[in-house]
Amino acid sequence: MFTFCTLFSLSSLNSQNTSNKKLNVIVFGAHPDDCDNKMGGTAALFAQMGHRVKFVSVTNGDSGHYEKGGGHLAKIRRNEAQEAGKRLGIEYTVLDNHDGELLPTIEVRHQVIREIRKWEADIVLTHRPVDYHPDHRYTGVLVQDAAYLVIVPNVTPDTPPLKKNPVFLYLQDHFQKPNEFKADITVDITSVFDKKMDALDAHPSQFYEWLPWTSGKLLDVPENEIQKREFLIREWSRPISDKARESLTKWYGSRKAEKALHSESFEICEYGKQPTDEEIRELFPMLNN
Amino acid sequence: MKKLIFLLFTLAMSVNFYAQEKHFVPLKIIAIGAHPDDCDSKFGGTAALYAKLGHKVKFVALTNGDAGHQNMGGGILGKRRRAEAKKAGEILGVEYDVLDNHDAELIPTLSVRHQVIRKIREWDADIVLGLRPNDYHPDHRNAGIAVQDAAYLVIVPNVTPDTPPLKKNPIFLYMQDGFQKPYPFSKDIAVVIDEVMDQKQRAFAAHESQVFEWMPWTMGMDENEIPKGENERLEWMKNVYLKQKKLDKSSLAALKKWYPNTDATKVKNVEFFEICEYGKQPTDEEIKYYFPMLK
Repeated sequence: MFTFCTLFSLSSLNSQNTSNKKLNVIVFGAHPDDCDNKMGGTAALFAQMGHRVKFVSVTNGDSGHYEKGGGHLAKIRRNEAQEAGKRLGIEYTVLDNHDGELLPTIEVRHQVIREIRKWEADIVLTHRPVDYHPDHRYTGVLVQDAAYLVIVPNVTPDTPPLKKNPVFLYLQDHFQKPNEFKADITVDITSVFDKKMDALDAHPSQFYEWLPWTSGKLLDVPENEIQKREFLIREWSRPISDKARESLTKWYGSRKAEKALHSESFEICEYGKQPTDEEIRELFPMLNN
Repeated sequence: MKKLIFLLFTLAMSVNFYAQEKHFVPLKIIAIGAHPDDCDSKFGGTAALYAKLGHKVKFVALTNGDAGHQNMGGGILGKRRRAEAKKAGEILGVEYDVLDNHDAELIPTLSVRHQVIRKIREWDADIVLGLRPNDYHPDHRNAGIAVQDAAYLVIVPNVTPDTPPLKKNPIFLYMQDGFQKPYPFSKDIAVVIDEVMDQKQRAFAAHESQVFEWMPWTMGMDENEIPKGENERLEWMKNVYLKQKKLDKSSLAALKKWYPNTDATKVKNVEFFEICEYGKQPTDEEIKYYFPMLK
């Protein structure tokens, strides 16, 4: 009986270990909408294949508007995030740290460690610590700082540690210093591009109000739904870069890579598990399609 | 008739537009260093050139410099250094603010970030200069971080709401340093400062507590080596701190880009700036507009 229990607990205990199981993917963005924008497509693909994805916004977004703010805005944005999560088929958590004031404190690091552990994550994704917004940079630092510590039992002991350090990946950006983003893994999201746009559309306070305001385009935002979608695609989809195309070719072969219209790229962070190409194919099963 | 009215209207509008173009709008530049004297040594020449052209420059020291002496300190030293900074500002034709954070204790906290955001907004800055977050003094590195962290947030109304936001993210530039890791300073913009070098030297010398007392002490110099007369001191100072350096390959390349018609062998003193990725990314044409001394 004891052996049976042990065996049973070993096999069910940690989804991190077994193959042919559901993958647990967790993505940390600074604000409610960052994860959607950087990996909404890949998340939708994971979800379609039956894997579990969670987006975490480290701040509540309570500064991201020109005429709303504080708890009132945070509530609007939390609801928008929930709707986006529903549209992608994933979970969405918004932590209650203030927008525009995120610092890589121990307290927030512990929040991040708990989220990763509770999700029993196989893959953790976040911003690089170089990006235009200090909240993005510090989210990158916080998640980097959680790498390795997630397996240390004496750290954040209220939440049981993971058995293994997950794979940590960076979401794409265009910053060049001290080094440019490297497209180690690139996912063809052509088939779910509409779904990704549905997710962005779930954040009207951002994509139709605040972000156009910051770029002086508030008056260009159309009223009707069809034109709104065109606006969203125009503003928030980018052509596949040469480097992303190269990476697509590596993972999908040149015939499929040439046909791709939209993609999302990821860089392997040196502080997590360093996966082989074979392991990457296990962790990103959509690459085998 | 309609056409004629439209033509007249267009004409009137374009004249009006032309008149606006002619109207001189001063540029607003703010340089933020860690200590009273940082901006002077890295940006003093370019600042004097801006001031001569009628543009508005402000220097900010994020700390009051109250640790920068071998036998003075605290409020007394802070007061002396604030007075030195004011004098240096007058010599260069710029404003000089010294904030009251302690020297050698600067941390990029939210409260310091908010101080920086307020200064940039109040100055309505077109250009913000800061230090790179890799430099020998922790205050320099942390001052660099505090300024970087203000980029973009200066346009967000919900951030530091006691001070109205800027309409546009300014250009953020780094002042020069010699550090190589994680990457060396990039000489994106070069400004020849020979015609104002004398002003820069006198402004630097205005920081007496530093130039003639503290810095020689840190270098292990004998106090008695330092001359007493004003002119002798100025000469001594030039030799110790502001010795003309031979322009290296990257300096010459930057010089050639921004001064294509200048004989580089005749150029003696240059200040260089690197474009930070977190502010507005200016085109070369825009750089010429924002640095009207380039020719």
